[in-house]
Amino acid sequence: MFSAHPLAPSLNQRARATTSVQAGAAMRRWQFLTILGVLLLPQNARAVDVGQDGTPLSVEIHGFVSQGFILSTNGNNYLSADSTRGSFQFSEVGLNFTKSLTDNFRVGLQLFAQDLGPSGSYDAKMDWFYLDYRFADWLGVRAGRVKIPFGLYNEVNDIDQARLPILLPQSVYPIEDRNFLLAQTGGEVYGYVDLRGAGAFEYRLYAGTLFFDTLVPPGSPYQVVNLNVPYLYGGRLLWETPIHGLRAAGSLQDLRLDASLLDDNATVNVQIPAVLWVGSLEYAAGNLLLSAEYSRWYSKSNSSDAMLFPASPTTISERAYALAAYRVAPWFQTGAYYSLLFPDVTKRDGRENVQNDITMMMRFDINNFWLVKLEAHCMVGTAGLQPYSSLNDNAPLGALAGTWGVFLAKTTAYF
Amino acid sequence: MRVISAIAVSSTLVLLALCSLVFAQPRPLPVYVVIVHPANPAVSVERKFLEDAFLKKITRWPDDQTIRPVDLPSSSPVRRRFTEEVLERTLESVKSYWQQRIFSGRDVPPPELDTDDDVVSYVRKHDGAVGYVYAHADVSGLKTMGIR
Repeated sequence: MFSAHPLAPSLNQRARATTSVQAGAAMRRWQFLTILGVLLLPQNARAVDVGQDGTPLSVEIHGFVSQGFILSTNGNNYLSADSTRGSFQFSEVGLNFTKSLTDNFRVGLQLFAQDLGPSGSYDAKMDWFYLDYRFADWLGVRAGRVKIPFGLYNEVNDIDQARLPILLPQSVYPIEDRNFLLAQTGGEVYGYVDLRGAGAFEYRLYAGTLFFDTLVPPGSPYQVVNLNVPYLYGGRLLWETPIHGLRAAGSLQDLRLDASLLDDNATVNVQIPAVLWVGSLEYAAGNLLLSAEYSRWYSKSNSSDAMLFPASPTTISERAYALAAYRVAPWFQTGAYYSLLFPDVTKRDGRENVQNDITMMMRFDINNFWLVKLEAHCMVGTAGLQPYSSLNDNAPLGALAGTWGVFLAKTTAYF
Repeated sequence: MRVISAIAVSSTLVLLALCSLVFAQPRPLPVYVVIVHPANPAVSVERKFLEDAFLKKITRWPDDQTIRPVDLPSSSPVRRRFTEEVLERTLESVKSYWQQRIFSGRDVPPPELDTDDDVVSYVRKHDGAVGYVYAHADVSGLKTMGIR
């Protein structure tokens, strides 16, 4: 749950409850249903409209079902405890409903369930829900649980069909930090402004909080008795330049995580403030897509009892990637990216302090509603793995293989 | 070793796909005409306006009427040509754009109607509607609009 996120580096292994044993039977059942769903979804499936268009009962329904496979090498388990032997613990299911109540007023919600290694286990949750009122094109408001606009692709981190990579560059979009980065509960102001000869810009400003389950992993020295985010705010400005297809964006997020931990009979309060920003550039022309992003995340921890839980000074992590993709044919797209992560910019030596990731990707669109993807990662460094994680027998990152690979396959059906 | 094998297989597939591209013969796409409701006062429209309208970045005509764009199905060659010339994007990138919007809770795409007649009928019924059909389709009673 906390994984590589700067908010809670020292809470890492404590919050990663391995629930595969308890969820084993349910997981196998869901995997069967997921695969079945992928295979059986009709080829001519479209968005489902319930009720006649324009009537009070009309609702637009969309959904997707994904099943993935992960295989990692050199003894490093990645995302799943069994990835070195090959794991199917990589599934996602989503179903959303949208209703336009008036020309300016919409409501919507999405149910989402996933299984990714030790997290998820198919607990269906509200991925997002909102009320959206658009006063004008340059001013709208949303309230509810709203996806966070961070960088170019954060909002599609769990939407396989909306992108080429199976795994977005993990330095900027760590999938294991989905709880922290994907959506916030609160409000958002947004708008689109045409700048005529200077292009256009889109802005989104939000404030709210995050809600997540308090996990108590087996063997943890602490019991997490309380976990909350007293504040979270941020925004993204995206400029569509006068050059068609060229976009530039800047995103900022500021938040604080508060936790109360119980160690035997003593309670310690921990505060972890963090600031995250990312600069983004994307160019899309015809079948070509180029994008690059650079990001820095600042975090520290304050503790009410340094003996029980040590405070730490501000740590700055550095994250970047460059991606190139080309659609060779309507049914086939390929590409590659290079992603780089330094969890602490003051420590750049040693395998445990860096993660290089060179990835090749392919996407095959079998038809308008079904796709298959293949992806190969060449990894140098271990900073992208979880330190002292049960996935790798609680081994320190420095003890894991420094050069390793990951192969992924995934199929998704959607309508 | 398994990863290396996977990369080798992947590279072969890429080469096969490239071959299919090289030998593919592009076919000319049919000409289209943009249609609006006869009550719409505009006589022509900027390409960028139509692009923003079909991507639902803007929602109002200059007279404050709600824009109601309507699409042909993605298999339609008329839609492909309209998308490439007016939206200045590939059909696949537009589909990806809508997947992002739908599943992030931002918006839903314009309705997709099966035939030119369906589009004509939709535009006739809705004041702020805008659509496109094959240039030789029967659009009597509707207003065709030039693109600047």
